[in-house]
Amino acid sequence: MVTAGIDLGAKTIKVIILDNGNILIRKIGLAGFESKKAAEDLFNKALSDTGIKKEEISEIVATGAGKEEVEFATKKVTEVTAGAKGAVFLFPSAKTVIDVGAEEGRSIRCDETGKVIDFAVNEKCAAGAGAFTEAMARALEVKLEEFGRISLKSTKTIPMNAQCAVFAESEVVSLLHAKTPKEDIARAVHDAIASRITSMARKVGFEKDIVLIGGVARNAGFIDSLKREIDMDILIPEEPEFVCALGAALIGKK
Amino acid sequence: MFEKFIDWEKNRHKYAKDWKKRTGGKVVGYFCTYVPEEILYAGGILPVRILGSHEPQDITEPYIFGMFCPFCRDCLAQGLQGRYDYLDGIMISQSCLHIRQAFTSWQKHIPVDFDYYLYMPNKVQSKRAYPYLRGEIADFKKAVEEWTGKEIRDSEIDRAIEIYNKNRRLMKNLYEFRKEDNPKLTGLEAMEVVISNQMTDKEEHNKALEEVLKNLPERDLNRETGVRLMIIGSEDDDTEFIKMVESIGATFVVDDHCTGTRYFWNEVIPEEDRLMALAKRYIDRIPCPSKDWEDRLRIPHILNLAKEFKVDGAIIIQQKFCDPHELDIPAIKKALEENGIPTLFLEFDVTVPIGQFKIRCEAFFEMFMEEDLF
Amino acid sequence: MTKNQQYKTEPLKCWQKAKEIRLNYYRDYALAHEKGGIRWSGGAWSFGAIPQGLGDDVYCITGEPYAASIAWNKKFALRCMEEVEKRGYARDLCSYMRNYWGSVLLDEYVFGGKFPKPDFIWQDHICCSHAKWYQVVKDIEPDVPMFCIDVAVGPYNIVNDNKLDYLVGQMLDGIEWLEKITGRKYDDEKLIEAVYNECRSTAVWAEICVLNKNIPAPLDEKTMYSLYVLGTLMKHSKIVADFYEELRDEVKYRVENQIAAVGNERCRLMSDTQPPWGFLKIFRYLEKFGALSVGSLYTFGLIGMWEVKEDGTWGPRTTPQQKGIEIKSREQALRILADWNLSKPEWQHFYSPHIKSEMMIRIAKEWHLNGVMLHYNRGCEGLTVGIAENRLALLEAGFPVMTFEGNMGDEREFDEARTVARIDAFMETLGFDKLE
Repeated sequence: MVTAGIDLGAKTIKVIILDNGNILIRKIGLAGFESKKAAEDLFNKALSDTGIKKEEISEIVATGAGKEEVEFATKKVTEVTAGAKGAVFLFPSAKTVIDVGAEEGRSIRCDETGKVIDFAVNEKCAAGAGAFTEAMARALEVKLEEFGRISLKSTKTIPMNAQCAVFAESEVVSLLHAKTPKEDIARAVHDAIASRITSMARKVGFEKDIVLIGGVARNAGFIDSLKREIDMDILIPEEPEFVCALGAALIGKK
Repeated sequence: MFEKFIDWEKNRHKYAKDWKKRTGGKVVGYFCTYVPEEILYAGGILPVRILGSHEPQDITEPYIFGMFCPFCRDCLAQGLQGRYDYLDGIMISQSCLHIRQAFTSWQKHIPVDFDYYLYMPNKVQSKRAYPYLRGEIADFKKAVEEWTGKEIRDSEIDRAIEIYNKNRRLMKNLYEFRKEDNPKLTGLEAMEVVISNQMTDKEEHNKALEEVLKNLPERDLNRETGVRLMIIGSEDDDTEFIKMVESIGATFVVDDHCTGTRYFWNEVIPEEDRLMALAKRYIDRIPCPSKDWEDRLRIPHILNLAKEFKVDGAIIIQQKFCDPHELDIPAIKKALEENGIPTLFLEFDVTVPIGQFKIRCEAFFEMFMEEDLF
Repeated sequence: MTKNQQYKTEPLKCWQKAKEIRLNYYRDYALAHEKGGIRWSGGAWSFGAIPQGLGDDVYCITGEPYAASIAWNKKFALRCMEEVEKRGYARDLCSYMRNYWGSVLLDEYVFGGKFPKPDFIWQDHICCSHAKWYQVVKDIEPDVPMFCIDVAVGPYNIVNDNKLDYLVGQMLDGIEWLEKITGRKYDDEKLIEAVYNECRSTAVWAEICVLNKNIPAPLDEKTMYSLYVLGTLMKHSKIVADFYEELRDEVKYRVENQIAAVGNERCRLMSDTQPPWGFLKIFRYLEKFGALSVGSLYTFGLIGMWEVKEDGTWGPRTTPQQKGIEIKSREQALRILADWNLSKPEWQHFYSPHIKSEMMIRIAKEWHLNGVMLHYNRGCEGLTVGIAENRLALLEAGFPVMTFEGNMGDEREFDEARTVARIDAFMETLGFDKLE
């Protein structure tokens, strides 16, 4: 049975096609301004790359903030349900799933079947995770990948406003003026975001195992900060940004 | 000269633990300066004010919604992190809704032997508040007696009032030295004294104050006073900010903070009915804005302070989201400016963007030096 | 008939009447001076029964429901708030207060014409903003005198004579003050009548809410908002007390005949705090899942007065008249009024979120709920205080909770798309699909 999952997020679109639990293809593209068209194009590209026809797919499940834009979907689920499903499929021991994307952070507690028990989403004033890191990397004039890496070199803790990204941003400007080394600023930024995410995640609590998903899970600096913050080990899938799309495709299988 | 106070302030927990060991007494943490500390002190208890640590934290979100002030969340975080694990009790005297949540969450999640909520009246401008608060203080005294198993005698209350009043007088004497053209102490030093005052045994604090007051007349700070500033607003123990401002051509000469003059300005006027004397002191003290209605009695007081301390300008600060202060600030700003005192408004969080604030303060100070500039 | 309908539905017969009472109220206030009457402004929690002693031609405007009416008019609300921000007031202050100030500053009445300036302000104080609200109004209009009663003496279970004396003392001072500023002689008989009315209207409202324990619920919360509001306007009036009795009879009829508020009811929820008034459609959105909110501590306990009945469940508080108490003096009337109001469920949480949690868990059980949706209301610190603790307690008691952020009066703080997304996720976790 072939199913597809499409995750239309705040910044990127992720497509996965599954054949009985085997991933046939993963595709990622920018959502851009015309996200409806972008989703359709990306999906068609995935079809042509695998040679599968649309009619052969028994269920196309959309998820993500823009799921309503995916008109050709046969089913829609929220990213909360999809994220938990995908994470438990990859790590059957997962009980807590932390999902950090471009604009939003979520924390989900689930049972061994991937059923959601409770979830929390960041409050308005603590919004912006991935997008904020990118902006800060730009302010430091380093590439995003490098931004994560250099922060690992720092051993210094600089307190920074952990709640509000706008406040934190002005503190970064102060640090730049004070000639603070880039790696220390990078670490401070990651600590601040990790602290924001942890703060939100504490509402549902931490139960082992903890899985981190979403695009920000690729950032080594952030992972390091998060581990220090919650003082527990964190499991990270190989393709963390695809977990919601994977979960959606798995839900189509049912 | 102020090392002792700084040591107490920086090592507040160590002080309280030592005090317990030394005296065998109990320590009660309190959340608002409307707590009639004299009753606790008379009962052999050390009252210490619970304050934040100015470190970012991520542990309070499950307990307090983020729209409430950073100060109340910072205070609760201290408890959750176990920094106040030596407390035998906690208490609050009713003021704003924000700080109340630090108390109620503490009650549930960091249980202690004794917790008490004193229903301090809000309408302190009504004559009805006196007998009411007297009754509430009587209930509170009874609760303390039941907890400690020891009656609080009149003589003990008298002694507590005496020590507290002495402290208030000494604090005012200290502030007198800030009126001078070249103040004998900086705003930072004054803040250290005032904060440490809220967490130490008043008798010891008095001794240290007397020592300082003895030596102050001879002191020469040997620094430019610059712009004479008043700082007005909500709870404020941000020494980093004060230090920064005083490093760029200004000196704080007076404040209107509950970590400041609002705490110690008024004395208890002794009378036979001791509890009534206490009630009157807390009703008639310089009010927190949450209790300053229907009239705003704090404004003439602030203007008076500004005059007495020869203030050039005022920095008005508030904890982010502090509703009571937000409701007074436009009126205070207007009153000061009508009296020729320019103001600068700043919003505080657990940490402040020190660089940005520095630029704003410098720009503010340039206003006073315009004649020199052009 | 919508899909999956299992119960019959029917519009409320007395709906139109409720609407008329509300509109007459705002009109009567505006026109009071034409008839030589008196206008006062204050809060929905004010002791409105007291100014009634000045005569039958005394009309009031209560600030919170008035500001909620402004919130309905999004364009006007935005103008109000921008006017307030221009004067240097913070954006995170109570949004009712800001709407009200804006209306005064712009000198525009949301129902048309200029803002009808009150002759005096009659307020009470329980949250940080209540007294200060009108203090700022006095900054704008210094010639309007103000009196405010402090009611923050603690939860009802510890009320004693000292606390009641404090309230009654202020009320007595208030009556003297009213006589002085209006030049009228105070009539205790009229006060006593208003106290009886207030006890009757607020107990009957609780009776109506009790009927919602039934499955299917005869009322949904969105409808209740339009009904409970009358109590926030003039709980002390005969008009409202009579209307609530009529409404109670109709709701009883609905229960007896299984007439539902939502025909496909299968998931029962409650909310908390004032809703985002400009976005009540989120309550309609719930119906797509066969879900409805059957009320909240807010709609039940802001106007309703409650007590624990013999069988241990929550029911309407027994009124003085039901107890056969005859009120004979001013002092007695005021004491009863003070005691009655101090038992208000929506005042208890100011002292402890834990008391509120107990009441919420009680509602969740007795009203047979599947879950709870808490409005983290940035517009009202007074009702949002302690809400995070309520969430924890409800979860601990086994009730799933969804939270959403918003603002009752400032639509700039409400994110509709994200809220709908949260509802979707919450419904998924509760196991309810969309019915269409």
